[in-house]
Amino acid sequence: MKKLPDERGYFGEYGGKFVPETLINALEELERAYRAFQKSRDMKNELKNLLINYAGRPTPVYFAANLSRKTGVEIFLKREDLLHTGAHKLNNTIGQGLLSRFMSKRRLIAETGAGQHGVATATVAALLGMECTVYMGSVDIERQAPNVARMKLLGAEVIPVESGSRTLKDAINAALRDWVKNVRTTHYCLGSVVGPHPFPMMVRDFQSVIGKEAHAQMRKQWGGDPDFVVACVGGGSNAAGIFSGFLHLTKIKLIGVEAGGYGNAPGEHSARMRKGRRGILHGCITYLLQSDDCQVLPVHSVSAGLDYPAVGPEHAFFKDNEIVEYVRCSDKEALEACLMLSKLEGIIPALESSHALGYVLSKRKKFKGARVLVNLSGRGDKDMDIIRKETRI
Amino acid sequence: MKGYNGLYLMGNFPDPEAFVEASNAGLAFFDFLEVGVPFSDPVADGPVIERAAGKVLAKGYRAEDIFASIEKIACPPGKKIYIMTYANQVFARGNGAFATMMKRSGASGIILPDVPSVERARFENDFARYGIDLVRFITPESTHEQIQNAVPGARGFVYCISIRGITGSALVLDAETKRKIVYARKYSSAPVVLGFGIRDAHSARIALEHADGFIMGTRAIEKLESDGVSGLQGFLKEIAMALAE
Repeated sequence: MKKLPDERGYFGEYGGKFVPETLINALEELERAYRAFQKSRDMKNELKNLLINYAGRPTPVYFAANLSRKTGVEIFLKREDLLHTGAHKLNNTIGQGLLSRFMSKRRLIAETGAGQHGVATATVAALLGMECTVYMGSVDIERQAPNVARMKLLGAEVIPVESGSRTLKDAINAALRDWVKNVRTTHYCLGSVVGPHPFPMMVRDFQSVIGKEAHAQMRKQWGGDPDFVVACVGGGSNAAGIFSGFLHLTKIKLIGVEAGGYGNAPGEHSARMRKGRRGILHGCITYLLQSDDCQVLPVHSVSAGLDYPAVGPEHAFFKDNEIVEYVRCSDKEALEACLMLSKLEGIIPALESSHALGYVLSKRKKFKGARVLVNLSGRGDKDMDIIRKETRI
Repeated sequence: MKGYNGLYLMGNFPDPEAFVEASNAGLAFFDFLEVGVPFSDPVADGPVIERAAGKVLAKGYRAEDIFASIEKIACPPGKKIYIMTYANQVFARGNGAFATMMKRSGASGIILPDVPSVERARFENDFARYGIDLVRFITPESTHEQIQNAVPGARGFVYCISIRGITGSALVLDAETKRKIVYARKYSSAPVVLGFGIRDAHSARIALEHADGFIMGTRAIEKLESDGVSGLQGFLKEIAMALAE
C-alpha cells in the first residue's frame, strides 16, 4: 500500500487542510520542521531518550490471565495506562514539544476532553520551560476535575470554553481561534489524529511507538501475533498508534471501538462511522455526525475522551477500504468492563479504554479461543467520580 | 460612500423580517451585502457572530430558510449579495446543490473562511459553472508569492483579512501588512477589500487609506441587536456621511 497521506495531506478522499488562510503557512512550517525532525539523528535520539527515561517506555504487554480464564478469550493488554501521566497522550506531546522548540515557538496551546491530553501538554511545557494554555469545555471541566487540578499544578492556564456543547469539539474551536491570533509565537499541540494536515500524519507517527512495541512484544514474549487488535476511537490516536504496527499483517483483524452511548438518537452516542456521513470539521474531510441541514450534531459518551462528532481522516479511509472494522460499545458495557478489569486484574482502566475492552467482553462468543490484544490507552483514576456515581460504589 | 464596501449581516437575524429590512437599509449605503448562513462551529468568528448564528439555529432556521429571505431583498442593479458560510455547509450538501440555492436567491458570490487557497479548486470550478465567484483571501501571513498566485485571477473582490485573529477583534495594521495590501492592489483587477476589525468611521477611514474598501460585520450585528433596524440604519448613515466622497 502506498504511504499515506499524499503530499496534499489526503488519505484517499479524506483529510486536507480546511482552516483559515492565516494558518496555512504555519501548517507548512510545521510540516517542514517535522520532515527535518525525521531526518535528524540528534532529535530522534532526544525523543527516544525522553520516551525511555522520562515517560517510561516501553510499556508492557500483560496477559490478563484471570480475565482470560473467566471469559474464554486470551486477552493481552498493551499497558499505556502505565505511561507517565497515565495515558498514551504523552507519546505525542513529547514529540510536538520538541518540534515546537525546534521552530522557536515557546508557547503551547492544546484542547482537551478528558483532560489527559491537557495534562500531557502541560507536562511537556513544564519539562521544556514553555508557556502553556489549555482549552477545555466547561462540561468536561466539571466531570474531569482531578485533571484540571493537575494541569494547574503543572503551571498551565486552563481556559473554560462556554460556547456550543461545552465539550471537546468546542475546545478545539477555541484553540484554533487562539492559534490564528498567536500563530507567530504559538504552536498548537493538537492531541489526536484529527485536524488539518500534517496533524493526522504526525500524531499517528508519534503514537506508532505503541504498535511497534506491541508487535515485537507479542512475538517475543507471548508466542506470536494476536488474532485481533482492539482499540477505542475518539479522534483515534491510540488506535492509529497501535494499528500502525499491525497494518502490514493482513491476517490480523483490527477493530476500532466507538462510543455507543445509551441510544441511537442524535445526542445519545458518538458513533460517527455508523451514523455519520462525509463532512468537514476542524480542518479535514471525514465522517461527521451532522443534521440534514449540515450542522454538527450533539454527541454523548460516558467518557469525555470519546464524545467527539468527527473522527481522524485516516480512520475514515480505513473504514471505506475495510482495513479496520468499526464497532460500538455502550456506556453500560464500558462501565461493566471497567469494574470487571478492576476486580479480576487489579487494573482500573480509563473509561475510554474500557470501551475497547467492553466490546470484547460483550462479544466474548465472537472471540472465543482467540488471542486478542487490547490497547489499554489510559488509567481510570481521573474517572473515579463518574464510576462512583454510575455504579453506586 | 467612498470605496467598494460591504456590510455583513447574519441571515434571519434577529428574525427574517428584520433581516430583510436591515439588508435593504444596508444596500442603500453599501456596494455589497455579505450574508452569513449559520454553521454550528464557526471557527473564524468571534463571540458576537457566533452567538447570532447560535440564535438563528436555535430557532430552527435552515440554509433554505435563509435563502428564502435573501430572495426578498431588493438588491439594486450593480450591487451584489455574497454568502459567507463554512466549508461543511457546501461540501456536505454538494457544490451543485448549494450553488443552485444561491443562484435562485440572487446571491452571486461566496466566502468560505475555512477554505484556504490550497483547497480552493474543489469549490471554485464548480461555482464558476453557475457564475458564482468564490472570494479569495490574503492575510498578514501571506507571502508575496502567495499574493501573486491568489490575486490576478480573483473574481468579485479580494478579501484582505486585516489581522491575525477572528471577527470582532480590534484593527491594527502593521507596516508589513500595509505593504502586502499595496502589493495585492498592484496585481489585482478586482477591488481589495479589508475585513476584520472595522467598527466605526475611524477604522473604516484607516481601511480606505490602504485598501479599495472595507467590510463591517460584528458592529452591525451588535447595533441591530441592541437598537433594531432603525438604529442600525442611523448608524450606517452616520458612517456613510463621515465617509462621503
